[in-house]
Amino acid sequence: MVVAALIPFLLAWLGLAHADEDGVAIQAELDRVRAEIAGEVHLAAYDLVDEMAYGWINDPVFAKPTPVVLAEVTVPVGLGTGMAALIENHIGTVLTQNPRTNMQLVHCPSCTAVVVHSGPEGTVVTRGYDNPRVLEEMGDNTGKHALFVDFEAEGSWLVMRARLTKLTPDLPIVWSHTLASSASTPSLLREASDLKSAAEARAEYLDTLQSRGPVTIPLRFAVRTYAQPWTDQGTPPPPFLWLQTGAEIATTDSRAWFSSLVLGYSFIPQAYQGIMGQARIYRLLGGPSRSLTRPNPYAYVGVAAISVWGPATAAFREETLTADELLTDSELAAPRNTFGALQGGFDVRIGNRVGLGMFLESLPVLRNSNNIGQYAAIGTLRFQTFGTEVTFCF
Amino acid sequence: MIAYIALAMVILLRPDPAPGLLRSKADARQIDCTAISEAAGSQQYPGRIKPEPPRGDFIDKRAVICRERLMRAGLRDTRDEAVLSTLRTQTAELAAAAVAQRPDLGARSWLVEAYYPSVQVSGKIRFSTADALVSQGVPVSDRTPVLAAGDIDVITRMAPQQAYPAACARYAATGSLGEDDVLLAVMVRDPRETILHAGLCEGGRWSWLR
Repeated sequence: MVVAALIPFLLAWLGLAHADEDGVAIQAELDRVRAEIAGEVHLAAYDLVDEMAYGWINDPVFAKPTPVVLAEVTVPVGLGTGMAALIENHIGTVLTQNPRTNMQLVHCPSCTAVVVHSGPEGTVVTRGYDNPRVLEEMGDNTGKHALFVDFEAEGSWLVMRARLTKLTPDLPIVWSHTLASSASTPSLLREASDLKSAAEARAEYLDTLQSRGPVTIPLRFAVRTYAQPWTDQGTPPPPFLWLQTGAEIATTDSRAWFSSLVLGYSFIPQAYQGIMGQARIYRLLGGPSRSLTRPNPYAYVGVAAISVWGPATAAFREETLTADELLTDSELAAPRNTFGALQGGFDVRIGNRVGLGMFLESLPVLRNSNNIGQYAAIGTLRFQTFGTEVTFCF
Repeated sequence: MIAYIALAMVILLRPDPAPGLLRSKADARQIDCTAISEAAGSQQYPGRIKPEPPRGDFIDKRAVICRERLMRAGLRDTRDEAVLSTLRTQTAELAAAAVAQRPDLGARSWLVEAYYPSVQVSGKIRFSTADALVSQGVPVSDRTPVLAAGDIDVITRMAPQQAYPAACARYAATGSLGEDDVLLAVMVRDPRETILHAGLCEGGRWSWLR
């Protein structure tokens, strides 16, 4: 009876304990997401601060160096004060390294402290910079200015507002400005000591973009290796080295898709020679457009026609090579084989210049060859060739 | 075969902002999209949108620009999010309306106060409104008009329609708001609304702007 009566309490207690655990988990997840967002937006916030300082260099608020108190830096509602500390440090760095802004950062503990002032009109609790009369009574020179900087996430925009207030009893705002940067705008990552305007940064970006036209000429070094045969009797072909060149054509400026058409030549004295033609379609993975600053992974599929000849190319046959065939090939007419191939692979492009890739290739006509095994298979499609390549684009 | 695979990849992997196979509804709500002309698109996103050919094109193309919202849904209070998302627009409208309706007050010193349940958001509204007023070319002060504790105790018990005029009268009576001062007060009048209202207080007289 007593146990039965305790059951509802026990269940309720278990439920509460579970709810507490859920609450802690949700809070932890929210904190994680907040930290992630702060990490994403703080570079954009730095850019806005740089832009503001650049504006002061070109159009100074003060004609001569003027003491300024960094009164308050506020960050988007929902983000922590750690980001505010980062931005404060960045403002300090930028202003120190750019004396032409005429902003002389000064330390003023009484300006940022909470002060309590009792007078005939009553008792007023404020921060120091909100009550310059109190600052004056405390002996602090009120010829300073206070800088307030506020960041807010407004939809997809990070908006920075800044104002300069003269610390006199009337507290006039002597300068105020708003700057915004969208979430999708890449950070300029400007040098604090060499600031440039957003327009100049855009011009540089356009210059870089224009240096890549819709057509690029790749110069590619590729190595094809062939899988060991199933049985011990087969003799696999040697690795083939290829030098390829042709054209890569992008369908859009974003280069999310592009195609390539290349011709190749291979030559090892006394062993083999070969020519090939190859067409591929590339698709960018992990982003809507090719980045100039990050590696760009692409996946591709393609077809190739390969023709090889020379003593070392006898293995491109279905049957196992015999000693007679090897002797005949060496002394009389060198064998010549032509076959088609299907490819699939990955390529990582860095900037507009370099690419590193690997691929698997299927040779359908040599599917049942005793001389070549397979690296992988998808259904009836056997991939007998593994290749790696380095591409330089011009 | 290759052509079919390529066509299927193009259809499946195209960056469509609508919810579908590759994008959930929650992800779709996280982005703001606007349709713009191809020319404007190539101007704004030179590396990603091809400019229109000089002799025109057979197809009238438009670009859809999608930007991800900075704050994920659920990170902030819903009303705060709604107010903050449109803060720049709303405060600019209020400042423009205030200066346009009372051009005779252009030479006075303008003060700004914001009344909003969250202190943090209230500070943001005040900052944004002051900045918008400076953009309108009127002299703005950072001074905060103060009231005695007794006044606040009485005023906070009144309905908004009476509270703001009463506060305005007390600001003038106590000398907190001088003859050369104008107070632009921004507030939400109902806890459920996300539109900001504003009123002007000068010489102890209160008038609603919006």
